[in-house]
Amino acid sequence: MSGQIKALKAELIKNKYSNILWVTFIAFSLAPIMGGVFMLIMRNPEAMSKAGGLSAKAQVINFSASWNSYFGILTQAIGVGGILVFGFVASWIFGREYSEGTAKDLLSLPTSRTKILNAKFIVYIIWCFALTISNLLIGLLIGTILQLPSMDMNLISGSLKNYLATTVMTILIGTPIAFFAIWGKGYLAPLGFVALTLVFAQIIAATGYGYYFPWSVPGLFSGAGGEYKSKLNLISYSILLLTSIVGYLATVTFWKYADQTK
Amino acid sequence: MIRMLLGMIKPDNGSATLFGRQLNPQFNLWNDIGYLVETPYSYPNLSVVENLKVYYNLRQLKNPNLIEDIIDKLKLTKYKDKKAKVLSLGNQQRLGLAKALMHRPKLLILDEPINGLDPKGIVEVRELLKELADTGSTIFLSSHILGEISKVANRIGIIHEGKLIKELTTAELTSQLIKEVVVETNDNKSALKYLTDFNHHAILNANNEIKISDDAAIAHPENISKLLVEKNLPPKQVYLFTEDLEMYFLRTIRSN
Repeated sequence: MSGQIKALKAELIKNKYSNILWVTFIAFSLAPIMGGVFMLIMRNPEAMSKAGGLSAKAQVINFSASWNSYFGILTQAIGVGGILVFGFVASWIFGREYSEGTAKDLLSLPTSRTKILNAKFIVYIIWCFALTISNLLIGLLIGTILQLPSMDMNLISGSLKNYLATTVMTILIGTPIAFFAIWGKGYLAPLGFVALTLVFAQIIAATGYGYYFPWSVPGLFSGAGGEYKSKLNLISYSILLLTSIVGYLATVTFWKYADQTK
Repeated sequence: MIRMLLGMIKPDNGSATLFGRQLNPQFNLWNDIGYLVETPYSYPNLSVVENLKVYYNLRQLKNPNLIEDIIDKLKLTKYKDKKAKVLSLGNQQRLGLAKALMHRPKLLILDEPINGLDPKGIVEVRELLKELADTGSTIFLSSHILGEISKVANRIGIIHEGKLIKELTTAELTSQLIKEVVVETNDNKSALKYLTDFNHHAILNANNEIKISDDAAIAHPENISKLLVEKNLPPKQVYLFTEDLEMYFLRTIRSN
């Protein structure tokens, strides 16, 4: 256990001055800002008529200027945008050792390779949670500034639960990215994989079978697929969980047993 | 082979053992080993101290002085708060060595440890390695800079096309290196004749120099000068040539 804590400490030191850290926070904060713009337009009928396409889009997805709609946007940002941003985070955490050339220095140490990877997964989880909390806080701030109608506590607690559940699912589905980073020895393979899952998540969700495609599940759950959310069932969540476990085990096993030539 | 010793790659066949223990994922004597494989890389955004802290934690060390000690020993004190990305190649190499040496390993495995070092740095690393060896550590070093190897090694192995073709101590190497007395006079042909008459094993080489390879001549080159002076053929030059490790290496791999 102390080995695991030391591994985590080492991993945290490594990320101390990562520019990527701030880049992900700034990129992810676009969601509450865009959501705020939506809210602003929804509230102002005059602006709405001018905004044309944007307002049409806002109306189609059934929005009103309320806390509930706003949280809905934030949740969808995680279910859809999170796949991209969390994928970016995982690609960085696991791929950096190869692009920085330090991978070989992590292999023959008293701290086992599994513990080093676990530390990376823990940092990944902390990072992603920090991103979602930051978005929530920015959202609260913007919502307050926009003076959205007072909160209905029941509705809000439901929204928050959805927000949290979407976050957990989106984090879980990131484990295969770690495998691609280690297998591809760098960023390229995992980022390619993220792009691919994103495309497939859209296509498959559009065909109506998204509830069986694990990368579509967080998006559908967040409400980004409208009525398809009701199609999610135990099998959908089981496939997601299974993919996550397989991703984790593949990463650990591969790093432990494969030849390391870079 | 170095990667095999570090458990990074598996041997095609057979097995590798370190300290009498087989190298497999359960091997756990890694704190007895320090290593530097090829170009040393560090986390570019971290300072020298922070880079060492990463490995301090991963090696689960318990003496915080180790970091300061190694920084001091490798003369990185001036740069300790500088980010690794702004270090010169030589200082990056020092940082790599610091990572390998921080925990005072019993066995140090180094692959090309003096790559990129300036002449002063090379001498410093050499001294450091000698010091470490004197305190009882074993150093396993691979390099293509054979002159450097011959200055530090007690035991040398020559690997050619993946096979160990020779392994010998420095003393054995010294006895196997070709030694010759090289002589030049105004009349090499006559000189050659006289030397042969005096039972010296002498030949004329392509550069029109006389090479004498018998033990008596090598032990006492001054006798050769004396002999030639007596015959009125005073030598323009006499010197004792000793083959270096590089020539020995080439001769060895060619004969294989």
